[in-house]
Order: sequence, then C-alpha cells, then structure tokens
Amino acid sequence: MPQPSPVTVVLEREGRTLVYPRLTTAHQLLNRLELGVNDCLVIRDGELLTPDRKIRPGDAITVRTVVSRG
Amino acid sequence: MKCSRCGAVAQVALPSHHSGFCPDCFRVFFSRQVERAIHQHRMFSQQEPVLVALSGGKDSLSLLRELVLQGYNVTGLHIDLGIPESSPAARAKVEAFCAALGARLAVLDMASEGVPIPAVKACVTRPICSVCGKIKRYYFNKFAMDNGFAAICTGHNLDDEVGRLFANTLRWDVGYLSDQGPSLPGRDGFVAKCRPLYRLSEYETAAYAFLSGIDIHVAPCPYSKGASFTRRKELMNRLEGESPGAKLQFYESFLKNARPHFEAAEDRGGVALAPCERCGYPTSAVVCNVCRIREKLG
Repeated sequence: MPQPSPVTVVLEREGRTLVYPRLTTAHQLLNRLELGVNDCLVIRDGELLTPDRKIRPGDAITVRTVVSRG
Repeated sequence: MKCSRCGAVAQVALPSHHSGFCPDCFRVFFSRQVERAIHQHRMFSQQEPVLVALSGGKDSLSLLRELVLQGYNVTGLHIDLGIPESSPAARAKVEAFCAALGARLAVLDMASEGVPIPAVKACVTRPICSVCGKIKRYYFNKFAMDNGFAAICTGHNLDDEVGRLFANTLRWDVGYLSDQGPSLPGRDGFVAKCRPLYRLSEYETAAYAFLSGIDIHVAPCPYSKGASFTRRKELMNRLEGESPGAKLQFYESFLKNARPHFEAAEDRGGVALAPCERCGYPTSAVVCNVCRIREKLG
C-alpha cells in the first residue's frame, strides 16, 4: 500500500524545514512545535489556518513566529 | 471554526475574545480596535497632523495602513539606524510600502546626524537596545516638534505594553509607571505620544499584516539577541495561553486602578526637567544623553 505524502513545515524565522510523515490538524502541529495558538501564524496556500483546520498529506505549511525581536 | 460575524471559514482564532474571524471580518475587528483606542483616549482628530514612526515591521506598517484608510492626516517617519546588516533592507521596505500606499514619508539618517548605531554600540557600556531606543525617541520627538506635528504614533501593541508594564512593576519604577499608557499628552519640549495598537496583540497585528498583503521587514536587529523584552513577552504569552484575556485585563486594570496613584506620587517627587544646554530639548541632566553620545563620537 503506498505511503501518504509527508507534510513539509517551514519554520520561517529559524530558516529550518521539518518533514512529518503525518499530521492531522494545525493544533497537532502547534503541539509538536510547543507553540501556543497565538504564538505564530500557520500558513497554507496563502491562507491562515486556525488550530482546528485539518492538515492533508503533502501539504506545505509555513510557520511564522509573531514575537518581534527589535 | 466559523467566523463569529458572517459564518464563513475563520482564518484567525482569538481565544481572548472567544471569537474567530474570516479575513474581511478580521480587518473590520482590527479597524474597530484602533478606532476605539483613538477615541477612548482622545489621541488625535482626523485633521491634526500626526507622525507615525515606521521601523518596517508588521506593527508600524499595519498602523500606518490603518490610519491612512481611516482618513487620518498622517506622515511616516523612518529612522535609518546605519546598521549594515539590517538598516538598508528595513528602509527599502518602508519606502516601497509608503510609495504603494501613497503615504507621505520622511527619513532621518543616524549616520548623517552623527550617531550611527554601530559606532554608538562601540562607545557605550549600557545595553545597546536601551541607548538605541533613547536615540530614536529623541529624534522622533525632535522631528515632530520642529515640523509642527500634533502627536507621534508608534506601533506598540498589547504585548509590547504588557511586557513593559511587567518590567516596570517588577522594579516598582514609579517614574515609568506614572506615565505608561496608550496616550501621553504633550508638554514643554515633548510632543504628545500615542499607541493606537495597544488593544491588539502581536498575533493580531501579524495576522492583519499577512491578510492585508503587507511586505514587512522580518529580519531581527542583529543587536537584539537575548534582549530582556523578548523573554518577558514569552513569559506573558504563557500566562495568556492558560488564561486568555489576561494581558488586556492586566493592562486595562493598571490604567484604571493603579496609574493615577503613580502619577500623583511622581507629581510629588519626580525628577525636574530642564532644556539641554546643547540642543534645548528636555533633560534631567545639564546636557542630554544624545548630545553627550554625539560629542563622545566626535
């Protein structure tokens, strides 16, 4: 049986890319990254995802931390 | 999650307001928060000329956009700090943004003023963020006074304000607690200062900038690594995560219940200000900090 495509997550500020074999929701992603609901923007295809939104196999997600550093 | 106003798919979840918004309704929410701050604290009228300090980040650019859309008489002011790793990029973003928005913009170059920040950093022993902040506030005020502006607006958001309040409270700093707030009236040598984004969190301004297609300057200042204000914000965010709405409540309760007492205490025993012997702007010393730094740099 073919494996589902992994989810790619770009951490914008850190300049790192993470690959997850599977993620269910934006909330699960935030938990994996140990981030709160309003700590970052979760972006997919030019849209912001609220924590309850489903993440599909093969999705490319960008995480933009919102705390400014001067 | 559905939008609390129109029922469309929400893109912004705001636990502190028990709400979620689609992009259009979120922009309405954002505008109303700015409008409410301006009116509630009688910051400025539509006609008065107002200066908006622009760093190139999400907060200041979002503020300028919103004030322009609401029909205020605003001009942007960018201070080019002269830091090779970050200043040219920040300045380019500000210039492009103002040109696209059709907003007036003035730029002050710290190298031309004799205080480029890298040289300042090399000659002071205090943390550079504190000195840089002082220099920026000096030039914002001077430019506003010299050019007849009624007020200076900065993009300080709720997280900035709460972080600062938390730090001032930890030190019980009567002087700083006496005048912390979203609006500080003008007085001798000082133009009025306003913070119209004080009701909006850092997340909300970031979401507004994203949803409005604002191309922001994202690279952090190379000198700000490990700055204490970042740690304080993270601490307050943990509190907000466990108790949504705690930040706004802490800040609004301070304004209502505590600040008047600190103001009264400061009136009784505050530091007297007099014009600086060199530049004429108010200082608690004979020569102000900025003039002393400028002289030190030759």
